[in-house]
Amino acid sequence: MRKNLIILLLIVIALTLPLYTGVYILHIFSSILIFLALSLSWDMMLRTGQLSFGTAGFFGLGAYASVLIVVNMGFNPILSLLIGAIFSGFIAFILGFIVLRLREIYFAITTLALTHVFSVIIRNFSDFTGGASGKILASAIFEGDPVKIYYLVLIVAGLAIIISEVFKRSRIHYAINAIRNDETTAKSSGIDVFKYLLFVFVSTSALQGLVGAVYAHQYAFVNPESTFSLNFLLLPIAMALVGGIYSTNGPIIGALLLGLISEYLKLIMPYGHLIVYGLIIVFVVLFLPRGIYSTIHNKLLKSNIIGGDKNANTASK
Amino acid sequence: MLEINNLNVSYGKIQVIWNLSMEIKENEAVGIFGPNGAGKSTLINAIIGLINNKEGSIKFNEEEINGLETHQIIKKGVALVPQKRELFPIMTVKENLKLGAAYIPKARDEIEQNLEFVYNIFPILKEREKQLAGTMSGGQQRMLAVGRALMSSPKLLILDEPSVGLQPSLVTDLFKKLNEIKKEDVSILLAEQNVKQGLKVIDRGYVLENGKIELEDDAENLTKNEHIQKSYLGI
Repeated sequence: MRKNLIILLLIVIALTLPLYTGVYILHIFSSILIFLALSLSWDMMLRTGQLSFGTAGFFGLGAYASVLIVVNMGFNPILSLLIGAIFSGFIAFILGFIVLRLREIYFAITTLALTHVFSVIIRNFSDFTGGASGKILASAIFEGDPVKIYYLVLIVAGLAIIISEVFKRSRIHYAINAIRNDETTAKSSGIDVFKYLLFVFVSTSALQGLVGAVYAHQYAFVNPESTFSLNFLLLPIAMALVGGIYSTNGPIIGALLLGLISEYLKLIMPYGHLIVYGLIIVFVVLFLPRGIYSTIHNKLLKSNIIGGDKNANTASK
Repeated sequence: MLEINNLNVSYGKIQVIWNLSMEIKENEAVGIFGPNGAGKSTLINAIIGLINNKEGSIKFNEEEINGLETHQIIKKGVALVPQKRELFPIMTVKENLKLGAAYIPKARDEIEQNLEFVYNIFPILKEREKQLAGTMSGGQQRMLAVGRALMSSPKLLILDEPSVGLQPSLVTDLFKKLNEIKKEDVSILLAEQNVKQGLKVIDRGYVLENGKIELEDDAENLTKNEHIQKSYLGI
C-alpha cells in the first residue's frame, strides 16, 4: 500500500514537474531520464547473464537512422524516432544470430567492438551520413520546446520502466533467470535459450535506438564522435551498479542519484565532478556491492519476510 | 521407447563414448552404472542434446532425436533431473513446480493434473508448497527437482546421479519414490554410482566403463554378477 503511494507520488511529481520548475531543471531531468532508460535497457540484458557493452552502439544507430531519414528524406521527426528504434532492433536481430552464440567476456568484447564498427562505417559513408562532421537537423524536435521535450523523454523512460516490469512479471522473467543461473537447467526445462536471448537482445537494442533517436532530436545533430560516445555505455552501467542490478528500481535510483549529484558537482567544480563521480562508484562497489536499492531491499526482506535466508542471497547473485 | 545405436560422443578430439548401443522399453526402469569418469553424464547429455559432437542414432518413440536442440527434445517428452539440483531458491515450492511445465505447451494444459500427481508422490511438497525452495533440506530439494521434472508430462525421466550429496536414508526414501513413479507410465533412465540402491529401482541395467558398455543384464542377474559384487557392492 505504502509502496503504491510512493509510486503514485513519483508519477505525479514527474508529470507536473514542468509546472513549477524552470528550463534548467527540466533540462537536467530530461538528460537524467535519457540515461535512466539506457541504464534499464542495459540491466534487462544483464538479467539474462549477458554483459552487453553495445549500449552506445545501438543508441548511436538509432540516433543516426532517425536523423538521416529526416535530413535526407524529409521524414516526420516523431515518426523518425520509431524508425530509429526499429532500425536498431533490426540490426540487433541480424547480429544476434552471431553474437548470441558467444558468452561472458567474449560477448562483452564483441558488443563493444560492434559499437566501434558502427561508428567507423558511419564515418566512411560520408555521402549519406555526413562523415566525421555528422549531420545537423534544421531544428530540434518541437522547435526545441523544453516542456514538450521533457514529456517526450518521460514517455520513453516510462516505456523502459514498463518493459522492464513486464519482463519481471511474465514468463520471460523466469526464462531469463534460469538462463542466467544455469543454461543447462534452462534448456532441460524446455526453454529455448537462444529464442529468449534474441528476444531480449532485440527489444533492449530497439529501446536503446529509441533513446538515441530522442537524444539526437533533442540536440538536433549527430556525429560519430559524440553520438557513439562511450558515455552512453559507461554512465548507464555506473547508474545500474550504484542503484542495484537485476531490478527496475535499482537503475532508476542510480540514475536519479548519480544524475543529480553530477549536475550539482558540475556547478561547484567544472570537470572536478568526474573525480567525485568516480569515487562514488568505487565506494558503492566496495561497500555496497549489490547496489543501494538491493542492499536496502534485502535488509527489509531479511527482517520482515524470510528471516535471514542465506539462499535468497545466492539466488539473486 | 528410447533406442540408441552405435553412438560415439567426443569432446573435441577426446572420444568419451565408444560405439554404444542401448534401449529402454515402455515403462521400464533402466540403470547406467559406472565409476566416475565412465561417461554416464556424457551419455545423458548426448541423449538430451546438450552435447552436439556425436555420431550415431538416438531414437525416441521411433523418431530420430539426434541433432535436435535440447528444448525440442524436452518438448517431445523427455525430462531431466540434472546432477546439480537446480531450483529457484527464492521462489516457493509450488512456483518451482509450475515452472517445470511453464515452457512446454502440452504440459501447460495438464498443469493441475501433474501438480496433483507430483503431490501424491511427494506429499511433503504439498505440505510445503508455500515455502521458499531454498529453505528446504537437501533431500527435499532433490525431491522438488524430481517433481519439477515430472511437471513436464514426461514419458521418459532421466536422472543424473540423484543420490549425490544425500545421506543414505534419504537416498532410500528418494529411490522408493522412483519406484512409485515407475508404476505411473513413466520410463526411467537412472545414472548412478550408488549401485546397491540403484539395483532396487531398475528392471535392467548397463555397466559403463571407459565409455563402453561392459555388461548388460536384468537387475537380478546384475546383483549376482561377480564383477558387480567385487567392484561396486564391495562383497
